[in-house]
Amino acid sequence: MEILKNTKINFMAARNVGFIVSSICFVLSLFMLLSGLNLGIDFRGGTMIGLNFSEDVEIQEVRTAMQSISIEGQEFDLSAEEIKHFGNSTNVMIKFKVRDDAPENFEQEIVNHLYQKMNEKVPEDKNNFILSIDTVSPKVGSELSGKALWSIISALGLILFYISIRFEFKFAIGAILALVHDIIITLGIFSLTGYEITLGTVAAFLTIVGYSLNDTIVILDRIRENMKSSGTVLFEATINKSINQSLSRTLITSLTTLLVIVVLIYAGGEIIRPFAFTMLVGVIIGTYSSIYIASGLLVSLYKSSN
Amino acid sequence: MNNKLRTRLLLILFIFGLGIYSLWPTIKYQLLSDTEKNNLSKNEVEYLEKNTIKQGLDLKGGIYIVLEVDLPQLVNNLANNKDKKFDIFINDLKDGYTNNSVDFFELFDSKATDQDLKLPRYFITYGKTKNQIIEQLKFQADDSINRIIEIIQNRVDQFGVSEPTIQKQGNDRVIIELAGIQDSERARGLLQSTALLELMIVKDVESTNTIIRQIDNLSYSNNQIGIRSQNEDATNAGDLFSSDNEVSDLQFSSLLIGIGSDLAIDKENLEQFNNILSQENIKQLLEATGSNFLFSNSSRTFLNDFGEEEEVYIVYHLVNNAELTGGVIENAQVRLSQSGVTAGQPLVQMEMNSAGSREWARITGANIKKRIAIVLDKKVHMAPVINSQIFGGSTVIEGLDSIEEAEDIAIVLRAGALPVPVTIIDQKIVGPSLGADSVQQGTSSILIGLVLVVLFIIFYYRMSGFIASFSLIWTLILLLGILALLQATLTLPGIAGLILTVGMSIDANVIIFERIREELRKGKTVRSAIDSGYQRAITTIVDANLTTGIAAGVLYQYGTGPIKGFATVLFWGIVVSMFTAIIVTRFLFDFTTSRRNVEKLSI
Repeated sequence: MEILKNTKINFMAARNVGFIVSSICFVLSLFMLLSGLNLGIDFRGGTMIGLNFSEDVEIQEVRTAMQSISIEGQEFDLSAEEIKHFGNSTNVMIKFKVRDDAPENFEQEIVNHLYQKMNEKVPEDKNNFILSIDTVSPKVGSELSGKALWSIISALGLILFYISIRFEFKFAIGAILALVHDIIITLGIFSLTGYEITLGTVAAFLTIVGYSLNDTIVILDRIRENMKSSGTVLFEATINKSINQSLSRTLITSLTTLLVIVVLIYAGGEIIRPFAFTMLVGVIIGTYSSIYIASGLLVSLYKSSN
Repeated sequence: MNNKLRTRLLLILFIFGLGIYSLWPTIKYQLLSDTEKNNLSKNEVEYLEKNTIKQGLDLKGGIYIVLEVDLPQLVNNLANNKDKKFDIFINDLKDGYTNNSVDFFELFDSKATDQDLKLPRYFITYGKTKNQIIEQLKFQADDSINRIIEIIQNRVDQFGVSEPTIQKQGNDRVIIELAGIQDSERARGLLQSTALLELMIVKDVESTNTIIRQIDNLSYSNNQIGIRSQNEDATNAGDLFSSDNEVSDLQFSSLLIGIGSDLAIDKENLEQFNNILSQENIKQLLEATGSNFLFSNSSRTFLNDFGEEEEVYIVYHLVNNAELTGGVIENAQVRLSQSGVTAGQPLVQMEMNSAGSREWARITGANIKKRIAIVLDKKVHMAPVINSQIFGGSTVIEGLDSIEEAEDIAIVLRAGALPVPVTIIDQKIVGPSLGADSVQQGTSSILIGLVLVVLFIIFYYRMSGFIASFSLIWTLILLLGILALLQATLTLPGIAGLILTVGMSIDANVIIFERIREELRKGKTVRSAIDSGYQRAITTIVDANLTTGIAAGVLYQYGTGPIKGFATVLFWGIVVSMFTAIIVTRFLFDFTTSRRNVEKLSI
């Protein structure tokens, strides 16, 4: 079977529309990021407790139970903290900031308090009540953000270097800008959904980077190959030809990847879902950016240098 | 088959064999049921466990803890001739250190310079110049952290965790990973406990009463001063008469309850009690008398005069300097109490070394009829009256809630006390049920996804689709084999890397197939279409994979935890998928088209 045989779509004609749309999305995403990126406790510090009740619970019940927690004479009211269901209505997630006045083993004390206070709805074995407890001190949080940022920046730098050697500097600029474009817009959409950024989602972003990069290089490779025969004359036509030639491959690869991602979104479970969602957005944007950002920029760069 | 093809086949079979060989323990281990595992000999189980792909905490459950050594406290412990100025310096250091990520000794250096602190005054035993002293302190810090790691390793081993990971991070942290642990509360207690055992004399009743009266007086006058300054600020006359301002002159003693010959305090009043004791002049008073107040390790219920139940802790007034510390303990064992009202309850029996025994005999001989408190990590476990001199260096800890608690105390006493306290700065606890769910859902959805992809590829590329699917499955087998060889741990981000690898592996095949189709469309024969298709596709595949490989390498170098796991899988995934796409599928194409002159390729 073959779809998309010998297509002759003039992709570059809509180049400027692509630039405008991308710029708008980019600026909006950047704005979204600066105003409200939901950084998880991995980067900000804080505590997150996941609990597994033996039957359905209302959030309000948990809130009420969290109103007065007494630990060695100190009273804590955590009813105003973020408390929500996740997965199903027997699972509850509680999240709060690191407190200066917190006693030793604060998280465990809270778990114990809820275990007693709501004793009719908890599993018999306390170990099955605890799904997860995460505590990250703000100090570690800021270190992790620094490291994550640094590793992404240095990876981008090296890729720039490699592509400049294997291809040309202009190609490298296109590829890197396409990558930055993908990361920022995906992050923007991510913050729109309210999912939070954890170390796990960073892995998803890295996957997108990998995917988008792969996609871009495949197209750039074709452009390089076609340039050998046609040179930089009629550059726009060469690029259109290259994109059309690799269009079938782009489509099949995206389809197979999306197939896996869609299954993950539907059946992968609550922990994987934000991750899979990021991938979905990233794959779509990554495919688009290989054509309109990486290749589009190449056209503009060559036109301006001629 | 010609010779060239045969050599390639042998190479491929050899590598496939290696893959299966290294993956075999993992497969075998997964297939064994629990009873079958029990029937195996210890060596066999160890061999399997060592060579199997380990599942990370997020998949299997367990705890991950990062402990930070209290370096300011260590420096404080090492200093001599401490004065007010030094105390301020240490407190400042503590604030600066716990809130920012800075190198401790750089902070130490700059704060000492800022505050014009003469370091040799306090650290003369470590050197005469600032640099010498800092060098020596660094050495001491390094030594303590190595001891801490050794002690924690010891505790974990005795607790019985299979394959714990205990690592040093930087110069002040220890990372501990215990996969598969069920009781996280207990494990955490075991790791964090300083396990400082102190035997301290309890102050007699008269001096305790005296100090309580003195604290009452000081606390009263402190409050009067507080109220006066508050009233000076008050603009509203009503404030002057508000009832909040009335202070009892027995503020401290009214918190205490007499139970027999002991003093106790209601759980709810603990904070107030500590607040009073932390007032500056009261701290000085306690320091001058060389005594301190400590609480019992657990609370008990007490029926007060109004017939109400109260949760109370016993309060002990103790001589500050410990008579003996845990360093003399040679062995500690859990026993069940044989006699008296505590019969059947767990206790920890401790044996001291010879120096400790002599010292213990001297102390008990000199303090007959006094009480001696057995204090573990600043909590009093019991305070029996010394009836006669004790020889032989044996003593017990009673008053434990459960046999588990007794076991844990025995473990930490045997393993020794940490030289400096540690704090938990990062912890991830994954309950056994969460891990199980995510593994199950994750694996099944990835398998479903994989099956769909294989079906799609076969539908789209027919016979060549089979070849691609075959190479895809081998990519996974070889990649998992490498992970088993590396004794890597598979986590959720690692699975993300696996998915990306699958994607890139399929992409490589798609690139090749599309190229071959293009060449066929140009009218080339099957053989030459395959040849030139591969030739052209390889450049693309190598470029794309190398670029991604570079990214993976950088992430491995700089990343932490999950990012590193992702990078490992991705890096090896790229290596393997290039092998299967370029060598294995090429061989299959060449093999199927080598026998006769094939005129049509199913692609």
